[in-house]
Amino acid sequence: MVVAGLLMAFVILPAIFNFSLLSTQFWQIYTRFYITGLFGTFFYVALTLPLSVVLGFLMGWARVSRIRIFRWPASLYVNIFRGLPPLILVIFASLFGTSLIPQPILDRFFAGFRRGDIAVGIAAIAIAMHSSAYQAEIFRAGFQSVPKGQVEAAQALGLRSWQGMRHVILPQTFRLSLPPLGNEFAVLIKDTSILAGIAGTELVAKSRDLLGVLSASGLPIVWIFAVWTVVAITYLVLTYSVTRGLRLLERKFHTPGLEAISL
Amino acid sequence: MIRVNDVQKHFGALHVLRGITFEVQKGEAIVIIGPSGSGKSTLLRCINLLVEPDSGQVFIDGVQVNRHGIRHEWVRQQVGMVFQSFNLFTHLTAIDNVTLGLTRVKGMTHDKAVEKARELLARVGLAAKENSYPAELSGGQQQRVAIARALAMDPKAMLFDEPTSALDPEYIREVLDVMTALAREGMTMIVVTHEMGFASNVASRILFMDAGKIVEEGSAEQIFHRPKEERTRSFVSKILR
Ligand SMILES: Nc1ncnc2c1ncn2[C@@H]1O[C@H](COP(=O)(O)OP(=O)(O)OP(=O)(O)O)[C@@H](O)[C@H]1O
Ligand SMILES: [Mg+2]
Repeated sequence: MVVAGLLMAFVILPAIFNFSLLSTQFWQIYTRFYITGLFGTFFYVALTLPLSVVLGFLMGWARVSRIRIFRWPASLYVNIFRGLPPLILVIFASLFGTSLIPQPILDRFFAGFRRGDIAVGIAAIAIAMHSSAYQAEIFRAGFQSVPKGQVEAAQALGLRSWQGMRHVILPQTFRLSLPPLGNEFAVLIKDTSILAGIAGTELVAKSRDLLGVLSASGLPIVWIFAVWTVVAITYLVLTYSVTRGLRLLERKFHTPGLEAISL
Repeated sequence: MIRVNDVQKHFGALHVLRGITFEVQKGEAIVIIGPSGSGKSTLLRCINLLVEPDSGQVFIDGVQVNRHGIRHEWVRQQVGMVFQSFNLFTHLTAIDNVTLGLTRVKGMTHDKAVEKARELLARVGLAAKENSYPAELSGGQQQRVAIARALAMDPKAMLFDEPTSALDPEYIREVLDVMTALAREGMTMIVVTHEMGFASNVASRILFMDAGKIVEEGSAEQIFHRPKEERTRSFVSKILR
């Protein structure tokens, strides 16, 4: 797969569209855009990924709670954020986002930020929530696949219910959820590119910025192909590393009898 | 050691226990038999409060356990329980299954817990399997680990809920042998089982339950061969076949 990708990026596409990824002139100009864009993407991933895991975990937990007033809001949350395309969520977040925050709070805590940046931040949170809805379902399945009998056995030993949660349920939920979480993280990384649509500073937006410069300054127009090929390779490398990393974790924690749940 | 007095339990409209009264002396092993749905499991679970009785009293070693303000965790340390489906913790090795309660409930150090767990695994004949995960053990071995896990808490009595009925026939013997040895060492035991041989050899009394009541109580010889009640007779004739 890696070989096929390299062949595509360095030989086949360049031959068809007549560009080269090895052109120094191209990199002299693109590098600056690329690095800022890549850092932007890392920034949004670093913001959304932990947030989505925390939210997803809490919502998944709430969905299996014995307490009904925890269950139904969580299931409403999951259905709404899973049911809307992330692009729509981002549009809504950037349109209404800043007006949801009261002015005094904006003045006090976000004084140094431009309104536009705050809107992008809120849109990023919306993407995290979209992902968390899927993660909630992963965690819910993880919780539910721990047999009830084991919880009873923990009680029968005299463990308190939080100890049963901590030492019996959570370790198993964690192992069972790892593989599907890896897939979900890859989706989340890709989804941060949607922020380009509202001028978030990330890989896709910065690459598009270069293309604007391109036509104005008489640089070769075939660089369009080079730019998007580099962007594509970058996303492939990012998502592949994440799924690969999770696969390694999974192997480290492998336990006979606790094979992955598939959704 | 264990005294159950007029215990009632409903699940919604279902009247599952209809006034159960009996007593088990210290060091005594009794067997409970009865048709499916008669309330045997519910009765055992009322003793360690996995199920809360609606009314009546349960005493363990003279202490009424189903009263307000008692710590359920404390009650459950007094009586060990072994389940039909073993319920070992899947993510833990045999020895870690045994040490979990020791370190987390009894507050023992890890080293002490391991030492004690090794003794218990040896006692149920599984010294060589301490690092195996439940999925790597046969049903009979899993159930013996489960017994070791319950014994680790130094319970005053043990409850067994059909401990061999999920086992392939070739593994039943090894589990019954462990239970027999336990009874001979003087453990107070309440065993729900339809293993006639075990009941005859080990139980000082058999209780026959039907429809939430104890219908008849007596020695194995009496219940199996000279039952007084018609319901007992017809049930026993089915399982003796
Ligand atoms: N938690 C529960 N909620 C509702 N009904 C229950 C519950 N536990 C048991 N029951 C019902 O109570 C009745 C008695 O169940 P119990 O498990 O005590 O019977 P049993 O004698 O152990 O039967 P078996 O031999 O099949 O194990 C059954 O009708 C069962 O469906
Ligand atoms: Mg039962």
